[in-house]
Amino acid sequence: MAEPVLVPQVGQDLTEAKIVALHVKLGDKVKKGDLVAEVESEKASFEVEAFAAGTVIHMPYRLGDVATVLTPLLLLGEPGEAVDAADNTMPAAAAPAISAPAAMPAASTDGILRSSPLARRLARSNGLELRRIMGSGPKGAVIRRDIEAALAGRRGVVDATPTAAAAIAFRDLKAGTGDPIVFIHGFGSDLSSWRSFLGNLTLANPMRGLDLPAHGASPPLEDADFATIVAQVGQALAAQGEAGIHLVGHSLGAAVAAAIARRGKPKVRSLTLLAPAGLGPRIDGEFIAGFLAAQTEAALASWLGSLFHDRAGMPQAMVRATLAARAGSGLAAGQRRAAAKLFEGSTQLFSIREALDHFDGPCRVIVGVEDAIIPAAQATNLPGHVALHRLAGVGHLPQIEAAALVGRLVAETVRAAG
Amino acid sequence: MREIMYREALREAIDEEMQRNGDVFIIGEGIAERGGSYKVTEGLLAKYGPKRVRDTPIAEAGMIGVGVGAAIAGARPIVEILYVDFAMLGMDMLVNQAAKFRLMTGGDGRVPFVMRTQGGAGGGVAAQHSQSLEALFYHIPGLKVVMPSVPADAKGLLKYALRQDDPVMFLEHKHLYMTKGPVPEGEHIVEFGKADIKRPGKDVTIIAWSNMVPRALEAAAALAEEGIEAEVVDPRTLVPLDKDTILASVARTNRAVIVQEAVRRGGVASDIASIIQEEAFYDLDAPIEIVAGLNIPIPFNLELEKASVPQKDDVIRAARRALHIQPMAIAAK
Repeated sequence: MAEPVLVPQVGQDLTEAKIVALHVKLGDKVKKGDLVAEVESEKASFEVEAFAAGTVIHMPYRLGDVATVLTPLLLLGEPGEAVDAADNTMPAAAAPAISAPAAMPAASTDGILRSSPLARRLARSNGLELRRIMGSGPKGAVIRRDIEAALAGRRGVVDATPTAAAAIAFRDLKAGTGDPIVFIHGFGSDLSSWRSFLGNLTLANPMRGLDLPAHGASPPLEDADFATIVAQVGQALAAQGEAGIHLVGHSLGAAVAAAIARRGKPKVRSLTLLAPAGLGPRIDGEFIAGFLAAQTEAALASWLGSLFHDRAGMPQAMVRATLAARAGSGLAAGQRRAAAKLFEGSTQLFSIREALDHFDGPCRVIVGVEDAIIPAAQATNLPGHVALHRLAGVGHLPQIEAAALVGRLVAETVRAAG
Repeated sequence: MREIMYREALREAIDEEMQRNGDVFIIGEGIAERGGSYKVTEGLLAKYGPKRVRDTPIAEAGMIGVGVGAAIAGARPIVEILYVDFAMLGMDMLVNQAAKFRLMTGGDGRVPFVMRTQGGAGGGVAAQHSQSLEALFYHIPGLKVVMPSVPADAKGLLKYALRQDDPVMFLEHKHLYMTKGPVPEGEHIVEFGKADIKRPGKDVTIIAWSNMVPRALEAAAALAEEGIEAEVVDPRTLVPLDKDTILASVARTNRAVIVQEAVRRGGVASDIASIIQEEAFYDLDAPIEIVAGLNIPIPFNLELEKASVPQKDDVIRAARRALHIQPMAIAAK
């Protein structure tokens, strides 16, 4: 049985690492503790050691590749051993525990809906459907805390997580020349989610990501409704002193981007809005509640899967990175409070239509026809100067499910600004 | 408030009730001349004389028979049985006579009889001197079962027992006699059927009695350091049982841990658990946890003895389970 050597987890919010050195080649014999490779994140480089002895029988990555963390960097086996198809891809089961707690109870895998008597009573009295709530109790049982989390997501029950001074975290994702392109992630994500997408952009501009309040490295805001978030992010962007910027946003981030364009400062030269929020009232409130309540890899995977038209296309690292980022941070609590101000159940409490009416630069709206979170049908009756792209076979994440096309469209939008 | 020992509190209760009511007398092995093996009756012989404070031979069947008979005849006897294990010799008098007499006489005959005895493990006195047998008496309709955990309750409950007209099994614990606690000066009575919240908390209800109360309190203190607020409920009397206080606490915390020193099988904890699940099912967010002695005779070896009855850590673990806190997460702390 081949043993994988995995690409290490290079940082809490990082899902990828660049391979900067490979010390072995196919057929080499290694012993335990041998240095086999070096990978690099933006912050640091990591040496990768073999955890077992064996012969290198498979190397999916080459020098210079950007690898997904916790996938096999190479496989060790017997000389001549065939590479198992399963080992070749994503050995979720073989992956060592990352910072996510190892002892979290497993979600129900047998299809039986379990719940505590109290959870049933609370669900009934609050009009919640138990089967829509991911349980965190034994064998995936729905217990009190799951109901409370679902209610908090729906109604904004405030819990007592201290808030730090408001600040917006930025990170340069790629150096370049010209007006910077600033990427704004969607609800529950963070700026690191853009990394894998950047390879699809053939632009020389500098690229920068920011973390919305209560996401990534940005602390939560007290009473952060949509306008407060926009003001905070807008001020932070203005403070960077750029003459003009291009904004690319996804979902909530797209709505924030459009609203910032309306503020006029800094000057937003182009807008690319992926599956934008704020075009209609509907959003899947159950998704938000369930996503926020999920505490296990299995539970989170179930919810994140609904972002995709093709669930099989979901990178497992996305689940792990989300869990890892939540672990021990107040992120989920802050996001729960934010969600309470942004959404009421399955209703979006803000609109970007007025902002789009007034935007005078190139603007594209890109939606997945199969979007299960924000219905694509809401992206109608857009102003005549806004281009609409409806992508078939794509869900809520066009930048992942149609990465190449979306990359091309972002580049065209930016270039159209001249 | 003044602090006195459990045994001193018991002595005060007997003394005060003997003074108050000339029908109260006490018999037992070594209770008069020696003042009792646990010194509960010290000084009473001198004060009340050999008619009311009387030593008996080692003959528990006879002692209990004398007590039940005297009670039927209108006296208020206290029979001290050195170890609850030996009360088995008087079971016919207790179960078939004392517990039934009122019913069999259409309510005319009453049995104001108090059997004081002690049980529990601790100290390596082996299988015949360490049992917790409250379930045997709990099982018999007609017997009241009292298990005080602190000096104040010991005094107040014993005084109350000595004013009842029905038989009371007053079960002390050999480890508690030397423990100290505040006891009010003057008249202090604790009615039966009134549980006491020994420590308030909102996260998990721990129900314990007798020597398991101090153990539950130690566990609650340790849990508090993790931010878990355990409520420790001491029923004080198992018959009658204060269901209301127990159910109200479970309604607040949504979880119950029941701790008994007695062996698990056929125990009072199981019965309390069945009451909770029946009457508070929709308040429960986790299975009811029972922490109890192993289903074995108490071993003589001190380490094995310790392993056979609930310890602080067993209670802590059960409370965490009830809170759905996983063992690994704790180990990582």
